[in-house]
Amino acid sequence: MKGYARAAISAFRVSMRLRVVSTWAYLNWLVFPLIFTALGLFVLGRPGASGSHLVYGILGGGLIGYWGIAYLDGGNGIQDERWNGTLEHVFAVPTPLWVILFGKICGSLLFGILAFVPTVLFAYLGFHASLPAVDPLRFVISLGVLTFTFMTIALTLTPLFALWRWAFSFLNGFELGVYILCGFMFPVAVLAPWAQGVGDLLAPTWATRALYASTVSGGAPDIELWWLAAVGLSLLYLVGAYFMYRMVGDRARVSGELALA
Amino acid sequence: MAQAVEASALRKQYITTRGVFRRERVERDALRSIDLSIEPGELFGLLGPNGAGKTTMVKIFTTLLLPTSGSARILGLDVVSNPWAVRRRIGFVFGGERGLYWRLSGLDNLRYFADLYQIPPDVSRKRIAQLIERLGLTGRERDRVELYSRGMKQRLHLARGLLNDPEVLFLDEPTIGLDPVGARELRQIVRELSDGGKTIFLTTHYMFEADAICDRIAVIKKGSIVAQGTPSSIKRTVENQGVVEFEVVGMPEAAAAELRRLPGVTSVSIAEHELAQVVTVHCARPAEVMTQLGLVLDGVKPQKISSREPTLEDAYVQLIGDSAQ
Repeated sequence: MKGYARAAISAFRVSMRLRVVSTWAYLNWLVFPLIFTALGLFVLGRPGASGSHLVYGILGGGLIGYWGIAYLDGGNGIQDERWNGTLEHVFAVPTPLWVILFGKICGSLLFGILAFVPTVLFAYLGFHASLPAVDPLRFVISLGVLTFTFMTIALTLTPLFALWRWAFSFLNGFELGVYILCGFMFPVAVLAPWAQGVGDLLAPTWATRALYASTVSGGAPDIELWWLAAVGLSLLYLVGAYFMYRMVGDRARVSGELALA
Repeated sequence: MAQAVEASALRKQYITTRGVFRRERVERDALRSIDLSIEPGELFGLLGPNGAGKTTMVKIFTTLLLPTSGSARILGLDVVSNPWAVRRRIGFVFGGERGLYWRLSGLDNLRYFADLYQIPPDVSRKRIAQLIERLGLTGRERDRVELYSRGMKQRLHLARGLLNDPEVLFLDEPTIGLDPVGARELRQIVRELSDGGKTIFLTTHYMFEADAICDRIAVIKKGSIVAQGTPSSIKRTVENQGVVEFEVVGMPEAAAAELRRLPGVTSVSIAEHELAQVVTVHCARPAEVMTQLGLVLDGVKPQKISSREPTLEDAYVQLIGDSAQ
């Protein structure tokens, strides 16, 4: 276990070092979240708009940045490793792939969560918008639960990038779908019932709902149930991840897709 | 005692699809029933043209690919059923510049892989320092890899491959693209590693490299091993033959065909050299061929005519066929 922990920490450190020297990382971390925040506040901050909806504008951009980095950076990282020719080397070490990806994803989560800082500051300084009534304890727990949901999804789906070269473009769509289905920028209640049903199967939907509820007065009486739903679904994803890693481990060795050619 | 590397009826077939709707199934045999056995401590060379199956074989032995059928064992461990144990005891180096984190320093690359190999920190610290010194990277280890020369990158590759002090080291064309001095240094290090007791499996295009450092070699062609033995025993396959070489300007195609038809001639290869062509004729009776050159070439004057003993490269060309240039 000590060896695994050291490998995961090392993967975390390397992913952070590679990220800070990458200009692309700042697009996801800073530029896109600020654009979404500006758009959200422009729409939701107009006269007549509900005050409780303003939180979607303040936190939505940060959420999108956080999700984009946590989920897509993992896949991006795998794609980079394939281009650099390091993916085969990482695959052929005596440390399981999930341990290495766990370290890398933790790096993505730490970098991603920082996306809230510029967006919330931008909302306050640029639009005089602030969160109406934050319940600090519930907010922190909700953010923790949200982080857990992001981590489990990233951990489950990232190995697919290693298995299939085309997965990156295909799973890009999933990133955008989650913005809508999980209600990052607006309440899911405005979606069609079938879309709400799909959203309910996604753990971040419940965590996002809890996060927003923890920032408005009155909050929500069933926030604990939402946390449980998010954690429960995430644990189900982890069960799926177990089979996914076994499948990837075998299939990648059959197809030889770890190499570029 | 278990063999260091063993393959029995090893076969690898790639199945892909093509066409707009990917409905057409394409099967390609990369390895066809390979049998191979390498003793511990041996320096074994695998020679073959591009696409012959060298890298596929290395990737199966290093647990990166699964064979379609047959078995592959490293130090008695099956690479299919026991990959984790195999990975702890082997190292591998692929040729070329890729395979390193260019934006990290050489030292960071080594530290990262030492952790992925789960080497205890006190051991890895000492080993990394030793490898940096042994491979001539001292003073540059904290520079980003992108600033390294090709030779330095290749030495860093080798250092990474040696991090876990492997019993078996796989080197896939490690000197490709290196300048002569860098290639010679690397060969020297490989020979020293072998003398130190490591089993080394080396794939290469360069005959002189295999001839100079390998204890035993195998020649692979289109996924099958066509010859196996010591460099001198492989050379003996062309023992009763000689080689005639000459230069001409504007070699007529008919003349080449005529040369191939001469009694005792086994192969004729033509390589472009500046404005002229260098013609190499493998034959049983060189003197006879030399006397008939004037007739065969029909007015084209041959220059720099020479006759020599066959080399490993000649044996290789004969085994692989005229297509290998």
